Amino acid sequence: MSTLTPEQWRTLTPYLNQALDMAETERAGWLSSLRAQDPDLAAHLESLLAEHSHLAQEGFLDTGPTPLDDDPGLAGQVIGPYTLLSPIGQGGMGTVWLAERTDGRFERRVAVKFLNIALVGRGGGDRFKREGSILGRLAHPHIAELLDAGVSESGSPYLVLEYVDGDHIDHYCDERKLDVEARIRLFLNVAAAVAHAHANLIVHRDLKPSNVLVSKDGEVKLLDFGIAKLLEGEGQDGSATALTVQAGRAMTPEYAAPEQVSGGMVTTSTDVYSLGVLLYVLLTGQHPAGKGNHSPAELVKAIVDTEARRLSDMVTAGGGDLETVTINADRRTTTPDKLRRLLRGDLDTIVAKALKKDPLERYSSVTALADDLARYLNHEPIRARPDTFAYRAAKFVRRNRTAVVLATLAVIGTAAGIVDALVQARTARVQRDFAYRQLQNSEAVNDLNSFLLSDAAPSGKPFTVNELLERARQIVEAQHGNDASRVQLLISIGEQYNTQDEDAKSRPILEEAYRVSRGLTDRSARAQASCALGHAISLADDPKRAESLIEEGLRELPGEPQYAFDRVSCLLHGSAVARNTGDVKQGIARVQEAQRALRQAPFNPEMRKLRVFMDLAEAYREAADLPQAIAAFEQASVQLSALGRDNTETAGTLFNNWALALLQMGRPLEAERLLRRAIEVSRADLSEQGVSPMLLNNYASALDDLARFDEAAGYAERAYARAQKAGDEVVINQSLLLRSRIYRDQHDVPRAEAALDEVEPRLRKALPPGHYAFAAVIADRAMLELERGKTAQALRLVNQAIDDLQATIKAGKAGVNVLPLYYQRRGLIELRAGRPDAAAADVAKALDLFQAKTSPGVFSYRTGRAYLLLARILKAQGKEQESRTAARTAAEHLQSSAGPDHPDTHSARELAGLDLPLR
Amino acid sequence: MEHTISGLIGAAERGDRAATEELFETLYRELHRLAKRELLRQGGSASVSATTLLHEAYLAMSSRGDPSFPDQAHFMGYAARVMRRLIIDHARERQARKRGGLFEITSLDGQDAPANSVDHRELTEISQALDELESVEPSLAELVDLKFFCGLSFGEIASLRVVSERTVQRNWERARIYLHRKLRADLAV
Repeated sequence: MSTLTPEQWRTLTPYLNQALDMAETERAGWLSSLRAQDPDLAAHLESLLAEHSHLAQEGFLDTGPTPLDDDPGLAGQVIGPYTLLSPIGQGGMGTVWLAERTDGRFERRVAVKFLNIALVGRGGGDRFKREGSILGRLAHPHIAELLDAGVSESGSPYLVLEYVDGDHIDHYCDERKLDVEARIRLFLNVAAAVAHAHANLIVHRDLKPSNVLVSKDGEVKLLDFGIAKLLEGEGQDGSATALTVQAGRAMTPEYAAPEQVSGGMVTTSTDVYSLGVLLYVLLTGQHPAGKGNHSPAELVKAIVDTEARRLSDMVTAGGGDLETVTINADRRTTTPDKLRRLLRGDLDTIVAKALKKDPLERYSSVTALADDLARYLNHEPIRARPDTFAYRAAKFVRRNRTAVVLATLAVIGTAAGIVDALVQARTARVQRDFAYRQLQNSEAVNDLNSFLLSDAAPSGKPFTVNELLERARQIVEAQHGNDASRVQLLISIGEQYNTQDEDAKSRPILEEAYRVSRGLTDRSARAQASCALGHAISLADDPKRAESLIEEGLRELPGEPQYAFDRVSCLLHGSAVARNTGDVKQGIARVQEAQRALRQAPFNPEMRKLRVFMDLAEAYREAADLPQAIAAFEQASVQLSALGRDNTETAGTLFNNWALALLQMGRPLEAERLLRRAIEVSRADLSEQGVSPMLLNNYASALDDLARFDEAAGYAERAYARAQKAGDEVVINQSLLLRSRIYRDQHDVPRAEAALDEVEPRLRKALPPGHYAFAAVIADRAMLELERGKTAQALRLVNQAIDDLQATIKAGKAGVNVLPLYYQRRGLIELRAGRPDAAAADVAKALDLFQAKTSPGVFSYRTGRAYLLLARILKAQGKEQESRTAARTAAEHLQSSAGPDHPDTHSARELAGLDLPLR
Repeated sequence: MEHTISGLIGAAERGDRAATEELFETLYRELHRLAKRELLRQGGSASVSATTLLHEAYLAMSSRGDPSFPDQAHFMGYAARVMRRLIIDHARERQARKRGGLFEITSLDGQDAPANSVDHRELTEISQALDELESVEPSLAELVDLKFFCGLSFGEIASLRVVSERTVQRNWERARIYLHRKLRADLAV
């Protein structure tokens, strides 16, 4: 083994950093691709990494040298009536010693806790004794008794506490494999102790497993009660009547309530929150902030900002890796699935109420929390209500604002067949922003977060993400250095603003990043700044400048692997710019190039692959290239599974959008399955609470294609009712259009017409004149006339619909996708009117257009239906042989896309002479 | 010459060797004084953590009202290096006392030293390797001082340096590899 020269060290450092950030499994592949390029470097790294895992295993330098102490310690020393025996713990507050009574009057052993004098402050001794006597009265079977408090001769304040020989509550439960019910019963003891203290006007403020011990015989003892109070600053009046106090003491962040982190008022509600976290951990084995190492900054952000995931979501594969969830379930003597079912519903609701960010929304007292748990154990209905639908819907919309809008319009597109271009551009952005958020592994953003919090936290005020960003901007502004890291920081802030939909704020910051970067030679920083800015301004007024910024950024980057990620990111920005400015081809070309660049990268992180696939799928969908879009969605979903994110909101959105592309392509069977999964992911319990009406409506649309009309009507009606309650105009309109179509399929003409009458004025209010949706309403009315047998009326209307739509397309607006559908309708009307030749011409047009949109070899419901109509027309023309051939083709398409039991499949088979007539 | 801590830090940063040494001596005296006081206060023999000492030293010095006192991260960087020497000195002294001066008797069962604890010779070697690391990547050396010798957690160091905890951890892993290489190479000589 040789020592490293400084040059070698400097060369290896960036690679070493990369490698250390990777999972062990990822490293092998990365190393082997590196080996192909630079065998020496790879060999060097490999030996360093081997050394690293060896050192990590052996714990090299993990234990620091013995601090400045002397071995004999305090053992044997006499403190008041107690003799110290041996140290039993050390913490931030000081040292804890096991001791026994010197006078031998009792056998009792006690714990003596010496407090770090720095925490008490000068003159604290007297107050300490006084408070100690007050706390001494806090007698409860589940609270470790405070026996005495005082100040030793050498000036150290100390507490004498009942000695509890026990284990932390979480270890205790795990070790004995207690089931959910036993855990709740144990927890109720803790709650009783906390409630008793609250009744005595004392707030604990530091509830966590290490403060809750369980003795061998199962007795719960709460420790450290009121110590927080003892440590109150001198300015605080010592009287015990002050129930609410300003936070100010360092607490354990993992169990801290939002108001403790942001410096709000600490009340009994604070303990309710910490108890909620404790219960969450006991029931799931996981912390509400999720798995993994959280930096203090991330943790604080999670406490203040992020709604905890439902209990029941944390215990199956979606909540962590398979091994973890299996172990956690085993520790509760059950399986992950059973545990999920057990936690679902009431327990989800109870814990969620304890963990509300706003103290006023939590249980009003610990007793109320305990009551509900007792009700649960007795199988009585609990008092807490799950979040109302409106509340959840509002949150869903806030989270996925643009995605929802897009998806809803896209469904009008399926009902009517068209997708709106502008909305799609916005969606692509949402998808991309999603990817950015997922990609927050980036240093700059992490550093930004801790940077923000180190400045924001001490200010002692609650804050929002936007305030944090504003603060960060000011701090960065005030910094004098104009280096690459400042540029990175500005870009991070700018993009964070973008994620928050604050374009007005994002733009000047990115302009600043760009300006600063011009004075630098660092190619990454220059390229990143110019591409990020280009992207940000592409939706605004200056598409030319946006494009030239992207080109400028791409020119900065040489083809070497070290710039691969910069290229990927610049190309994705560039793709978005191209799509935002209407150049869909360039949009696709750039994502494809990003894909190639990613392959050249020295390693290939999964999150980046996911991001590229999602961008690619959206780009294809915008270009109306459905087969390619679907392939990309498929790859994105494989990636998502690989990352264990199958049950996240992201997965729900992906399934939904993917299903829409499938529906447009005429694959309702697959779409139905995906939408069902999307609903499964977002549903709160066995009810449909929490499923967005948009998703319900999409599902109804798939069911309608599958000829499951009654179910489809049910879903569409529920979507409508819910959308009305939530005041969601877009979904209301979309569900009305769909309902009309379903009722028509059920041959209920009056209801179908009523739905159209209801939606028409609404559309006039919501959409600009010339929108394809108006043509859709007319085409639907044509079909109703046909149902009534009024073919002349029907023909007049469908001709009008086609004329209107062609004008819309000519004006450069969206609508081209539904055109074949209208030709097909006209063909049907012509056939009924007894003009099979005209009908044949229309269906031929429709088929041409449909087939241009689907790749050869893909069976489509739309193509199948067109062939079925063609078969009927040919039969009417007396061309029996041709009719049978067309019907066979129709049967093939329909069987694969809509299933063998679909009525259209039966009709086609019958016409082809493959089946006997059904009736 | 300016004899305040901030003046010394400023001068040391400008490359003034004499100031660097004086800074070192001043901090050493201060930390030593604090340690003694703390040991006395805790009844003569409880353990004093290096972290507590560093924080107290910083508070004591910053409260002396020096207008341009450097920030905590700055101060801690210097003080941590001094703390390293203080700890090595202390370990050496303790070992000497325990072994009865020059006679070093190691017990067969090894029970007189807890596992993983490091004796003063090892500490001295680590310290030398650290001096070398300092010339290659000073911030890594400082990180080892803060973490290993002063017992600051990754989280504390992260907030001191305003970087993410993950960054600190990764740097720590790198520093450890470097030191281990160096120590092994020295042994092989």
